[in-house]
Amino acid sequence: MRSVLFLGTASGAGKTTLAALYCRYLRKKGVDVVPYKTSNLSLNSYVTEDGKEIGMGQAFQAWASGIEPTGDMNPVLLKPSGNGRMQIVVRGEPFIDIVRGQEYDREKIKELGYGSFDRLVSEHETVVCEGSGSPVELNLMDTDLANVGLMRARKVPSVLVADIERGGVFAAVYGTWKLLPDDVRGLLKGFIINRFRGDASLLDSGIARIEELTGLKCIGIIPYETLKFPEEDSMSSKKGSIGDGNLHEEFVKNLDRLLELAEEGGVDFSKIEKIVDSSA
Amino acid sequence: MKNIVKVVRDEIAAGNVGCKTDCPYNPCHFSGQNCTFCYCPYYPCNDERLGKFVEGRRGQKIWSCEDCLLIHRDFFVEHTVSKIKELGLEAGDPRFLTEVFPEAVEKFWHRGKAVMVVGATSDAGKSITVAAIGRILKRMGYLCAPFKSQNMSLNSRVTSDGAEIAMVQVLQAQAMGLKNADAHMNPILLKPMGNTRSQVVVEGKPFADYEVGGYYDEFVPGPGKEIVKRNVDFLLNHYDYVIMEGAGSPAEINIYDKDIANMRAAEIADADVILVVNVEWGGAFAYAVGTVELMPEEDRRRIKGIILNNVRGDVNLMRPGADRMEEILGIPVIGIIPHLDVRLPSEDSEMFRGRSSVGNGPVHVAVVKLPRIANFTDLDPLYSDDTTVVFAESPEDILDADAIVIPGTKNTIGDLQWMKDVGIYDALRQMKGKVPIVGICGGYQMMGKLLSDPQGIENGIPGDYEGLGFFDNTSTWSSYTKRVVRDRAVIIDGGGEVEGYEIHMGMSDVKETPLFRMTSFGREKETEGSVRKDEMLYGTYLHGVFDRPAFRDLFFSLVSRKDRGTAPEMSVEDYNDVVDRNLDLLADGFEKGLDMDAFKKIFGVKE
Ligand code: SF4
Ligand code: SF4
Repeated sequence: MRSVLFLGTASGAGKTTLAALYCRYLRKKGVDVVPYKTSNLSLNSYVTEDGKEIGMGQAFQAWASGIEPTGDMNPVLLKPSGNGRMQIVVRGEPFIDIVRGQEYDREKIKELGYGSFDRLVSEHETVVCEGSGSPVELNLMDTDLANVGLMRARKVPSVLVADIERGGVFAAVYGTWKLLPDDVRGLLKGFIINRFRGDASLLDSGIARIEELTGLKCIGIIPYETLKFPEEDSMSSKKGSIGDGNLHEEFVKNLDRLLELAEEGGVDFSKIEKIVDSSA
Repeated sequence: MKNIVKVVRDEIAAGNVGCKTDCPYNPCHFSGQNCTFCYCPYYPCNDERLGKFVEGRRGQKIWSCEDCLLIHRDFFVEHTVSKIKELGLEAGDPRFLTEVFPEAVEKFWHRGKAVMVVGATSDAGKSITVAAIGRILKRMGYLCAPFKSQNMSLNSRVTSDGAEIAMVQVLQAQAMGLKNADAHMNPILLKPMGNTRSQVVVEGKPFADYEVGGYYDEFVPGPGKEIVKRNVDFLLNHYDYVIMEGAGSPAEINIYDKDIANMRAAEIADADVILVVNVEWGGAFAYAVGTVELMPEEDRRRIKGIILNNVRGDVNLMRPGADRMEEILGIPVIGIIPHLDVRLPSEDSEMFRGRSSVGNGPVHVAVVKLPRIANFTDLDPLYSDDTTVVFAESPEDILDADAIVIPGTKNTIGDLQWMKDVGIYDALRQMKGKVPIVGICGGYQMMGKLLSDPQGIENGIPGDYEGLGFFDNTSTWSSYTKRVVRDRAVIIDGGGEVEGYEIHMGMSDVKETPLFRMTSFGREKETEGSVRKDEMLYGTYLHGVFDRPAFRDLFFSLVSRKDRGTAPEMSVEDYNDVVDRNLDLLADGFEKGLDMDAFKKIFGVKE
């Protein structure tokens, strides 16, 4: 079993893009790769060819992997419908509509969600997973599915994507590592600094200190320029109509350019492969 | 001297005790000040915690009371008045200085307390938190000053004595009820010039240009620390509280010891620290824990509370997480603040958040989105229910507008070229005479016929550039000098006051009908700006020109929206009043979200 989970220090840290890039990297090497995100909270969904509803991010990652999106790639989709109401879509089909505070069968959803993961693992060589938000929201951690939940249930080795744009990146990496529960902390192997501007050598001493404190490895620093490419939000921007063939070709083309940029910028994706291999 | 003695005697005899709201300068220091001793009976006290020696016209030393706030505080005045009565003092009595003053100062002067607000990231809400805390303490009757040792910003203001400081500290000073923000409150201002270079403004005056590396290796360990110390010291002598603001994250361990904006400044001022974390993007607990734990013990000890800021939705959902974090860190979460909808000038332009427009009103105001736009808070008064402010990046945005603003820029010539490249230049020329067009500062220079930079000061390339040609003016960059001045003026045609400030390098040779006549003291003969009324073209160097209602009113009165229905009544409130009202709303929001007992404990506020 080969899998890796991209976690983020915050929402919008760049998990979706990083996971897509890694999918693309593997795909170009001829690996049979598939994306996966246990649960998504989103209004923007994509309907697969066989009529399953999943998050947009996984659809794009599927195209990056050279395959068509399926319901297993995002087995739990939470769609807020206003006024505290929410629809829960499981494996692409409406499962239940709830109002805020209403209990529902979390165990069942969890089982189905991780069942999809297991199926992808058995059908493909590598599963590239994406986490959701920050994995260490102390108020939400107990019911989390996509981050700590998945790590714990399937022992997936993980990489943390940290956004440096607003500063505090060392605190974010250290704090995330520190707050992970003891039983899964060891699964976090490394971190990637995203959206950096300026002279990367200025970061060296800070990175060394974090590596020393946490035992994590810095996998690379991604230059800011790459922001121009699809991000979680803009993927579903007003301009692109969903399912538009051009949009997805355009996306893959952009992704290839971004991959080159990231590699030129010193991101060594083979380090992630090694992490995956050593945990396989 | 004789004069002062007489005035003081007359004032006391006349019973002129309290706040003189009829004085044209009121308040000359802070709102609610006590003016009983507009002329001080202790003069000259020579106490350098209160006033200072300045050099007179003939080089002699003169005692200046300009900085003294104690003399305007009720308790100090009441004490002084009661002593005057008790001892039967006549103005000029030597006992004022030998007896009364030492006792009064001993009793009432105390060094202020410093509390610093740091943020886990930039954009954590530090500035707003400082403003909110300041307003809360002001409402409790305390005198506070804001302080940010080092601010990197393109939004600056000019103080009444001609110093350039960051806009945010001016706003915070307003929140604290202060009439005049001064350079002590932001002694180091970094104005980014290009990728890695910044102009360093020290105590309001240009000091030198530095690269990032040079700034940290030369400036900080050299003059930097001393600058921070003397300025925060000054404020601590004059105010009850100095509410300091950090910059970026205080836990950037790669530059930790060189960072004089955060924990080093807290150390210099011996400040307690409050950490603010923006919850909006997620990861708040990780950011908070990481920030605290990456600090060395002696700095960590200063952190007395954490504020979780900008919570959308139900704030109570954060509580269990906050409780767990308190256990982990041993630091209380002293506030969970909801997202507050307040209208305040913002350091982060809406424009830079990737938005293409603000508002939904019927009047479409296009603001040319110059790549190096500066002082974009000029635009804040334009946001209203009546407007849609569009950040124009293409000719279409311009051609669709009901009114157009060309804002200021850090690089007039570079951005003029950009306008030509993207077609906005041509679109603007097409719109001339059809809708009102206002150019501010750099935008005003662009409206002229020629921009001449023979030494390449502005853009690195010497040359002459063709402007929009709306005015017959020529702007020239002849030397590396900068004009920094605060202005008060009236609209020549039609009246109405404006207030603002000029900060620019190029100078214009104006060949047009002027727009404003100065009312600033001693400059009544000067005029400013250009106007071609029949073509609805207006240009001015005055930043903040829209803040007062008069010019905004004029601008909007020219809007005729043929295809968008009749003109609505535009709201033309004084922007200062809008800001002040919103500062109260902000403070209300914080008061609700803060644990006020914990807050009072940190500040040592007595019940
Ligand atoms: S103290 Fe200031 S505001 Fe008060 S009367 Fe004197 S000049 Fe006017
Ligand atoms: S500094 Fe203050 S107390 Fe001293 S003479 Fe001046 S106004 Fe009076």
